[in-house]
Amino acid sequence: MVKSNTSVVGIIFPNSYDALVPELVSVRLMASIPFASRYRIIDFILSSMTHSGIDNISVVVNKNYHSLMDHLGSGREWDLIRKNGGLRIFPPFAEKEVGGPYVGRASALANLLDFLRDQKEKYVIMSDTNVVVNFDFSAMLQNHIDSGADMTIAYNEQEIPEELLNYPTNDKIFYYTFDVEDGRLKKVYINPKTDGVQKMSMNIFVVDRELLIDIVNDAYIQGRSFFMRDVIMPQLGKLNVQAYKYTDYVARISGMKSYFEENMKLLDDYNLDALFSAAPIYTKIRGDNPTHYKDGAKVQNVMMADGCVIEGEVENSVIFRGVKIGKGATVKNCILMQDTVVEAGANVEYLITDKNVTISAGKEMKGTDTFPVYIEKFKVV
Amino acid sequence: MAKEMIAMLLAGGQGSRLYALTEKLAKPAVPFGGKYRIIDFPLSNCVNSGIDTVGILTQYQPLELNEYIGNGQPWDLDRLYGGVHVLPPYQKAHGSDWYKGTANAIYQNISFIERYDPKYVIILSGDQICKQDYSDFLKFHKEKNAEFSVAVMEVPWEEAPRFGLMVADENDKITEFQEKPKNPKSNLASMGIYIFNWDILKQYLEEDEADPNSENDFGNNIIPNLLRDHRQMYAYHFNGYWKDVGTIASLWEANMEVLDPEHSGINLFDENWKIYSRNAGMTGHKINPGAVVENSMITDGCRIKGTVKHSILFGGVKVEAGAVVEDAVLMGGTTVKAGAVVKHCIVAENVTVCENAVVGSMPSGDENGVATVGSGVTIGENAVVGPNAMVRNNVEGGEEQW
Repeated sequence: MVKSNTSVVGIIFPNSYDALVPELVSVRLMASIPFASRYRIIDFILSSMTHSGIDNISVVVNKNYHSLMDHLGSGREWDLIRKNGGLRIFPPFAEKEVGGPYVGRASALANLLDFLRDQKEKYVIMSDTNVVVNFDFSAMLQNHIDSGADMTIAYNEQEIPEELLNYPTNDKIFYYTFDVEDGRLKKVYINPKTDGVQKMSMNIFVVDRELLIDIVNDAYIQGRSFFMRDVIMPQLGKLNVQAYKYTDYVARISGMKSYFEENMKLLDDYNLDALFSAAPIYTKIRGDNPTHYKDGAKVQNVMMADGCVIEGEVENSVIFRGVKIGKGATVKNCILMQDTVVEAGANVEYLITDKNVTISAGKEMKGTDTFPVYIEKFKVV
Repeated sequence: MAKEMIAMLLAGGQGSRLYALTEKLAKPAVPFGGKYRIIDFPLSNCVNSGIDTVGILTQYQPLELNEYIGNGQPWDLDRLYGGVHVLPPYQKAHGSDWYKGTANAIYQNISFIERYDPKYVIILSGDQICKQDYSDFLKFHKEKNAEFSVAVMEVPWEEAPRFGLMVADENDKITEFQEKPKNPKSNLASMGIYIFNWDILKQYLEEDEADPNSENDFGNNIIPNLLRDHRQMYAYHFNGYWKDVGTIASLWEANMEVLDPEHSGINLFDENWKIYSRNAGMTGHKINPGAVVENSMITDGCRIKGTVKHSILFGGVKVEAGAVVEDAVLMGGTTVKAGAVVKHCIVAENVTVCENAVVGSMPSGDENGVATVGSGVTIGENAVVGPNAMVRNNVEGGEEQW
């Protein structure tokens, strides 16, 4: 099968929804949050784009992007070292009037207008990185072409996460639900508090490049920042905007609680297969050796990456690369990120440790299922 | 621009004593240690020693090896000038030749070596598990003002007759070479790793090629000729971990030694001497409720629901509930179904061991065979594969193979 989809430019917004997980993004951004024992969230969208034949991808960073630059490198692991296109990182532009860190998607795109004009591809696919998906962009593009739409936006059906419902709305965090009629997007609700299953926007857009240039240019001239609120919603009558229902596995990160739960859900093989079976997800390779379970290790219901040395007990946990768990230590219901060390005899439950955390010998630390304790990078407890 | 030293890696070996594993695979491509292949060791040693140009001489079943090496990126050997090159025999204006011997393989690639104008050439073997700093070896070679140096290991005297032995004086100068002698005068076994001054090597390769009676082999021809001419030849003592994994038993043993780095000396968790490999890109492994895992190495893509003890599991191995795996090496993509018992054996890639089948058994008395199952084989329900069996074809349900 020839999948080369040379007609699409991919654009990724790695900072969207950073504010929902302030602890996790204190040293990074949404896109580079570790997920599922060996990935960063952006791996899912990037790999999906690669598998859908998109090999001209721009990542429009806003702030805290050191960890993301380090992770992406030249894009080799996602097969994005290309003569034409490949992976491009756009740092904030400081010279235009809209310069500096952008506020909304429309102002971010305004910084890219010259780039967009230079591209030859007919379509643009845009995505945030707060949803973990193994997304078939080819299918969505085909749907967009077949429907003759000006723009297509993906949604999934789910209840609005508690964390979004409880989020103070004066901050600039917007989530959207849709009214859809015969596939056409009729109405968009901003930050609704409605109960029950909703059609929630995944903020994945397919749009004709020429049209995108026009509407972003208009928004720029009128000083509008937010793509959905300021650009799409006022034009729903004029533009043919289709809503594309996505029915495969979606893990939506809306806060620390959902981050914890969405990781834990993957301990169920059914969910793991639902997320990973469609196409492989690529990530940066560290060259770790296999994980060594030594004498005294007892493990039940864990997902674990390579490079770990386990001498203690681990249960119901997601363990990232290079974690060491000492003799007699017990780890239950935890997420331990890269190179966490749990020393001998320590006893931890409902913990999320960031990279390179050390839990000292004999220490006891417990969170609860509704409130896991988070320990920041490099901390020694 | 000249390179100080380049490496030539002999990877043409058929590995006939591993035959169920090497039927469709060159020996250097045989998987090892959970996520590596044998060739990862010399390649990683090269990079870690600062050698950035490696020619790999292939001949037997090169497809999978070629694919695995690719552009050399996993070993950081994708270079503008140098890097890794796979060198199969090729057709020339005046006929074509298979590589007739180890020396002939290098001879046929003289033009490759001369592109880099090296002062030294290190000859490596693609069928050993060894972590070795070749830069230290080169330092020795230079200090001795040698024209030829060979890495040697001290072996127990009673085992010495199995090896090619270097007899050396107190200054490590080689005075005699004995190939598998009945009465050894030395216990310094050649590791088959040589450093030559390139001008000397070239001269002796050309002389060797002109000799119609030569076997074109380093051990049998080149080294004796150097001795004959009283060249400056030295023995470099190596005392790290080194294992020739030419037999099923030694391959199995080396894998088991990975589980016991404190005693065996083969530590794959060495941050200062990483062994690199091509990554399969699978998710983290899963240990499900009810599983038992003891003293084992497990890597990406594995799903464990049964019992795994003292074993090495490669990427994507599945062990179903009620299955028992012990003292076993299970290569990538193999599935052990419910109730099956797999012990003291090597199971190659993509094998299915069906329900309640038995593969291998723990040693008892004189019986300590390592059962071997070739890649892609299906072992049927309730089938039995005995401890000395070498299985290359499917075993039907209920059948026994010894």
